[in-house]
Amino acid sequence: MDTTQLLKGVLDLAVLAVLKDEDGYGYDIMRRLRTAGLDEIGDASVYGTLRRLFQAGLLTTYVVPSESGPHRKYYSLNAAGRDQLTRSGKTWRSFAGTMDRLLDDKGLAA
Amino acid sequence: MTHLIEQEIARYVDRVRSALSDLPPATRDELLEDLPEHLAEVAAEAATAGETAGSLTDRLGPPEAYARELRAAAGVAPPTAPANLDQRVGSLVRKGRDRLRAVDRKLGPVIGYERLSDYLRLLRPAWWVLRGYLAAMLIAFFAYGSSGLLPRLGGSTLAALLLLAATVTGSIWLGRRTASLGRRGTLMMRLGTGALVLFGLAGFIGWGSYTSPGIQYQPVYNDQYSDIRDVYVYDSEGRLLEGVRLFDQNGRPIRLGDPWCESAQERLRTTVGDPYYTDPAQQPYPYCPEGAPFRLHPTSPAPPAGPVASPRGSAVPSPGDSADPSPDGGADPSPIDSPDPTGTPADDANPEASPSPTS
Repeated sequence: MDTTQLLKGVLDLAVLAVLKDEDGYGYDIMRRLRTAGLDEIGDASVYGTLRRLFQAGLLTTYVVPSESGPHRKYYSLNAAGRDQLTRSGKTWRSFAGTMDRLLDDKGLAA
Repeated sequence: MTHLIEQEIARYVDRVRSALSDLPPATRDELLEDLPEHLAEVAAEAATAGETAGSLTDRLGPPEAYARELRAAAGVAPPTAPANLDQRVGSLVRKGRDRLRAVDRKLGPVIGYERLSDYLRLLRPAWWVLRGYLAAMLIAFFAYGSSGLLPRLGGSTLAALLLLAATVTGSIWLGRRTASLGRRGTLMMRLGTGALVLFGLAGFIGWGSYTSPGIQYQPVYNDQYSDIRDVYVYDSEGRLLEGVRLFDQNGRPIRLGDPWCESAQERLRTTVGDPYYTDPAQQPYPYCPEGAPFRLHPTSPAPPAGPVASPRGSAVPSPGDSADPSPDGGADPSPIDSPDPTGTPADDANPEASPSPTS
């Protein structure tokens, strides 16, 4: 099964999740996602998702000047973002649980 | 080096921007606002990670692909070619179909079905029979001009029944095989069905005008004066009176006919300045003396009778005049007054003046 298709539906949740404990800038966020195992994720997808979540009022941004390289725009979860993360997380867990049980019933190995 | 990277980033962003040129400018600018900084990060990270200094395109793919992915992730509409006429018609048809479907679902419960079309589908075999009948009627109508309820061929009932049996059977046969007809066959059948429906509708709507001679509607005119065009008054000598005016018991002018002949029209035109004659209905009888039915004494027409000939409009007799004569009525030289100076018979209140035979 094509992972990118699955990823489209949960990219928001993934981005919110990696920002839960620590603010991050664009490339940093992508690296966290890839480190977590979502290696097929594209840079444009992450950037586009960040823009959309920011537009939706779930993220706040601030710029951190850098001595060595370019300025970095950091994203952080605000209250609405945390709220969204909690709700989407529950939805995902419930959905994933349902799928797991379905596959277990059919005797498919995890 | 840094300068080169900036140039490369600017070029890359430009190409992404042009790939998003169909978006509203505000949306596009908003979407691309942070892209240069973001790409600078990407480039810087790649450099610090010790990757071989490839171009942005190597790392991120072509700008157009990047734009596509960005579009999808940011949730803005995919690129759409400007709608041509076909697409607009197509979308109209789709909208109409959606609306029909909604009506279908809404009306179904009214008659106890989930959808209206469920019920109509049940009626399909009935429609096949009706279609066969309509086809027979069409054949009979064009072949023999038949217009009854049965498609009689040359007046034969047996032929009508045979024709009906053939067309109805054919229609049912066709109905059972509609699904297996080709594209062409389906189109032909739809065209034929459309023609039949039109023919049927025309037949039903025009039903009132197809009437057998037995029950034909005959307009009845109750007004025996409706075909009167002129009035000719003759005196006791049989002479035609001209300039006559008629009144009923209430003094209302009796208007019959109309000034139809050329001389009357001419009179109307020439006397149009005279207020007394402006209304064609005010013309005295007969309108057209030359149209008189009898001419017993054509050489001696009666002198214009009545007060109409008088230039004084007040001389026209009215019920008021006759019922309430003035005391000096005798002085009035109106020709309609009796020679008796005391006036009309209504003047009975004056016994001295009235030559009553009893006194």
